[in-house]
Parts: sequence; structure tokens; C-alpha cells
Amino acid sequence: MSRLLDGKVAIVTGAGQGVGEGIARALADAGAAVVIAARRAENGEPAAAAIRARGHEASFVRCDVTDAADVGAAVAHAVDTHGRLDIIVHNAVSPPGPPAPVQAVEPDTITSQIATSTTASYLFARAAHPHLAANRGAFIVLTSPAGMEGSGNLPVYATVKGAQRGLLKSLAREWGPDGIRVNAIAPVAWTPAMTTATEANPTLQARLEARTPLGHIGDPETDIGPVAVFLASDLARHMTGQTLAVDGGRYLGL
Amino acid sequence: MARRALIVGTGVADRVAAGLAGWEIERSPSSGGLDLVVWADYPALACEPRRIVDLSPADWDAACDRPLRSVIDLARTVHAPLAATGGTFVAIVPLMASAGGARYTTLASLGEGVRLLAKSLAKTWGADGITAHSITLDPHAFLAPEHATGIAADNALHDPPLGRIPDDADDVAPIIDWLASGAAAPLIGSSLVIDGGLWMPG
Repeated sequence: MSRLLDGKVAIVTGAGQGVGEGIARALADAGAAVVIAARRAENGEPAAAAIRARGHEASFVRCDVTDAADVGAAVAHAVDTHGRLDIIVHNAVSPPGPPAPVQAVEPDTITSQIATSTTASYLFARAAHPHLAANRGAFIVLTSPAGMEGSGNLPVYATVKGAQRGLLKSLAREWGPDGIRVNAIAPVAWTPAMTTATEANPTLQARLEARTPLGHIGDPETDIGPVAVFLASDLARHMTGQTLAVDGGRYLGL
Repeated sequence: MARRALIVGTGVADRVAAGLAGWEIERSPSSGGLDLVVWADYPALACEPRRIVDLSPADWDAACDRPLRSVIDLARTVHAPLAATGGTFVAIVPLMASAGGARYTTLASLGEGVRLLAKSLAKTWGADGITAHSITLDPHAFLAPEHATGIAADNALHDPPLGRIPDDADDVAPIIDWLASGAAAPLIGSSLVIDGGLWMPG
């Protein structure tokens, strides 16, 4: 039986854990060969091995998404190792730091948030464009409900996630004639950062779930992953410039 | 005593400053309280049409990342002066921030980031008596006329019902003046589109 992404090759950033890993697994289950792009081999190698253990094609490439040379090397790795490149999923983002108003955010946190969100999105867009244009591919960024409604606790995170939405809409217009679709996913899901936050604040999970119509925080592989598969596949061939909130219905402002 | 406004940026920022009658205008942060901060500091490079593949990393930094960092740093700087008076923060953003614009990826990224920053400030600064808003303007406020017309046409299937593009000094500045007044106090974190009805989002 053919699968939605048979013959496609995807790079997923920040795929050594959390949402990125879940998306990588889902893309692989749908038939794509997946490049796990992550900063740390101790996360990235096992993530790729786990996908291969399921009988799928996957590889790991060490990648600092804020470094142009690393990003170029990741794109080259995908083409050299797997033969082509059809899908970029830019999920990586540096930790947003503890909840704080903007005047109390650590300066280094601001620097790293901008670098991993806007700079990295640009670097992957520039490096991947020739391949995505050749294959009428898909460029997907992971934004956040915070990038639509703002966040008092994480104002810099909301700023950079908003900036990514400005980028994707413009890129969707710019790349439409090339046949490249550009979309975003705004998830609320179990990530290492979410786990840390709920462990630090025992009431957070219950409060978050109480505000979520579907009543639970998303699973990276089974709740978020299928939406990435959809956006990467021909099922979404007439969709571009859109943000899908995959958060159990918590944000309904679109 | 005249209320004090800090206006950051050129172009549309200059025109808005010219329309803020009765305000004491400052162009860089100084000591003392502030009643109003207006940010519209878009680099010239961001306002030129460029394909993303033609932008160097240095271009991206200059047109998007560095000004994004600057406005975040500005917010950190003006928190205390605004809290001293219960003032208002207003970010002016281009239509392309929320509607997209081919060859304006830096402008749109910067603008939408700033729009979300204003929303985020509103959420926490309200407790300090500060309000924060964003105002979306037609591309003509930011781009050369020959470039702006095409962007506007991409985003609407009709002429603006107002029959003209709002004037930054005569039309936009009075709305900012109102946002900074007590009458607008219940309005928190708004994203106002002042384009004569060109777009009508959402």
C-alpha cells in the first residue's frame, strides 16, 4: 500500500527529542526518509536509530541551526545521503527561559530565541530553496499559539514565534510561483520544556488541560506528527501561508 | 504641562510625530516619565523588495534580527518611564506583517514580531498601568509608491472604502493620541488596522 510521503526526503530540525522527534517519526511512518538535524549527537543518533529500527530510512546530521555552514551541510547531507530534498520542518528553538516580563528576560535568552527562530528559518529557506523548487516541496515551521495571542510570561518567545508567522506568509506568496508550499503548525504538546514547566509548577498541567476543549496536552508523535504529514503531503496541495493550531482547541482566535 | 512622547524611527514615525499636536516629542530615551512610546523603526533594506534567496546573512541580520532585538531592548528600557506615568506603547506595523508580502520577508517578520511583542507587553504591563497596542498601516506608509501599490493590490479585491489612503499625520496620529488618553484605557493589546478599509482582516 502506498503511503502519503513515499519517495520524499525530509529534514526535521530539533528532532532529537520532543515535538521534532515525534514529527520525524510520523513523517517516516508515512514513507519519507528523514534527516534528524540536531545539535547533540546523544539525542540525534538514537532518534534516527529508533526510526531505522521501525524499518524506515533515517540519518542524523549534527546541526546548529543558527550557523549558515551547518545549515548548508544539513541540506547537502540530505541530498547526498538520501538523493533529494522535498520537505523542511523547522522545529528547533532554544529554551525560552523562566516566565518573566520582558524587562526581566536574560539578554542571552533574547539573542538565542531570535537566532533559533528567525535566523534559522531564513538560513533553511535560503539553503533549501533550489531543492524544494525542483521537487515542488513543502516548508513547514513550528510556531506557537503564543505567536498569535502573545504571551505575558514568555514575551520574547511570543515575539519570535510571531515573526516566524510573518515570514511564512510572505514566503508563501514569494514561493507560490515555484510550487513550494509554506505553512506552520502551532502546537501545544509534551516537550522537554513543557515537562520541566509542569514539574516546576504542579498545578500547570491541570490548569492547561482545563482550558483545552479536548482535555489533554498533545503527544508529539500521535497528535502533532500527523498534521505535519498532512501539510507535507499532496493532500494539502492547495494550502499555503496557513497556520494550523494543533492544541486541542485551546486557541480559537483564528 | 505637555505630555511626553518618545518616537522611534523615521519615515512614517516622522509623519506621526508631526501629527501629534501638543505633545513634547523626544527622539531618543531620556530621563523622566514617558506618556507615549511609538515605534516604527524599519531599516531601509527591509523596505526594499528582495527575494529571500538574494539576502545574505548580513542582510537578514540588518533588516530583521537586529531591529527585532532593538525593539525588545527598547521595551525593556521604556518600561519604567511608562510605568511612572501609566503611559502607552504603540508599535506601527505594515500590512505585510499579517497578510504577507512576496519579497518582503524581513519587513513582515520584523513587523509581525513587533505586533506580538505589543500584545505580550499589554498582558503583563497592564498591572503597571501601561497599555500597549499595534497599528497596521497600508504598505504606502513604509514603501516607495511604485512598490506599495502592488502589495496593496495583492491584499484586496476592492478599493479602500474610505476612498483614499489614511494620512499618517492627519488620520493616524490622532488615533494614537486617543489610544494614549484615558478614554482608551479599557482597550488593551489591540491590533488596529488603519487602512481606509482596504483589507478588513479576520
